[in-house]
Amino acid sequence: MKIRTALVLVSLMFVLGGPARAALVWETTAADLHPAVSDKTAVAHFKYKNTGDKPIKITSVHPSCGCTTAALAKDVVEPNESGEITATFNIGDRSGVQNKTITVMTDDTPGQPTILKLTATIQQLLQVAPVFVYWPAGDVLNSKTINVDVGAEFPVKKLTVTSTDKAIATEVAPGPNDKTFRITVTPTESGRPINATLKIEPDFPKETTKSFYVNVRVDSRAKPVTK
Amino acid sequence: MLLGLAFLPAIGQAIYYRGAVSWQQPPADSAPVSLAQAKGWGGAVLWIDARPEEQFASGHVPKALLLNEDNWNSLLPLVLAAWSPERKLVVYCSRQSCDASHAVAERLRQEAGLKNVYVLQGGWEEWQKGGQ
Repeated sequence: MKIRTALVLVSLMFVLGGPARAALVWETTAADLHPAVSDKTAVAHFKYKNTGDKPIKITSVHPSCGCTTAALAKDVVEPNESGEITATFNIGDRSGVQNKTITVMTDDTPGQPTILKLTATIQQLLQVAPVFVYWPAGDVLNSKTINVDVGAEFPVKKLTVTSTDKAIATEVAPGPNDKTFRITVTPTESGRPINATLKIEPDFPKETTKSFYVNVRVDSRAKPVTK
Repeated sequence: MLLGLAFLPAIGQAIYYRGAVSWQQPPADSAPVSLAQAKGWGGAVLWIDARPEEQFASGHVPKALLLNEDNWNSLLPLVLAAWSPERKLVVYCSRQSCDASHAVAERLRQEAGLKNVYVLQGGWEEWQKGGQ
């Protein structure tokens, strides 16, 4: 009997205790974004509603990195009022899965922040490796190879490679399958330091040019190939 | 007597792990590095600022180079031009909790194949506390 009474009291505490607190209820606290390959930003909307009976003040909104901005229309949310935080993730030169968070503090639950999670999966048109080829002092100027993998969903058939220094020769050849290329890089001069950039341009997408870069460095003391 | 007994477990551990830990042991490649240790490397350090451009413009470690993922493609050549095999790259962002320095350090290792890449513990905030 005592146990039953205790259970009833605990239940009443939850039922009656709930509505007495102001509460910001989030429609979702996690956003999964899949921007297109030509997109510059990825935007998430985190909607909330004040289901309590007193105003709630959003005291701070803090993104985990400088690459994300979080915009708030108004910081005081009246009872029964809805709103949203718009999070804009700047894609920049990032690729792969990016996990970012936004920490939201409110005056109704100080010390108990809400963590909004933003996951952006940035499609990788090309995966280029390595992005730095280097011939140090004493190294013989033999050719080096750069491997290029094309993302499964992209119909890239051709790569164009240009060098900022004419002493760096390049040759593009198909790889072991139709989703790979191999770029052979060969310094054709020795005796001077070379800092060059290779620009790799795929033939897709047609409407916007997406470029990839490889940095080439040759030490002036690298040795020419002996014939 | 009590003090001696209190030290016994510590002495035991010191003997057991004598080959595993050293106060002088350098951090493993890519490990976090303290400000004091990084400063101790002197001119061998190539400081890399992984924060957004506007934060870099408002103040940075002297001679640090900007390299962030916003403009990775255009900034990386400048870093690689300054790099040499004997240099240690110490990457920092705003504070201990920021993740930009880790992301940049990881890309320098994985994509550019560089070794001796470290992340500064405490970031720019720690540098400022350290009296520059």
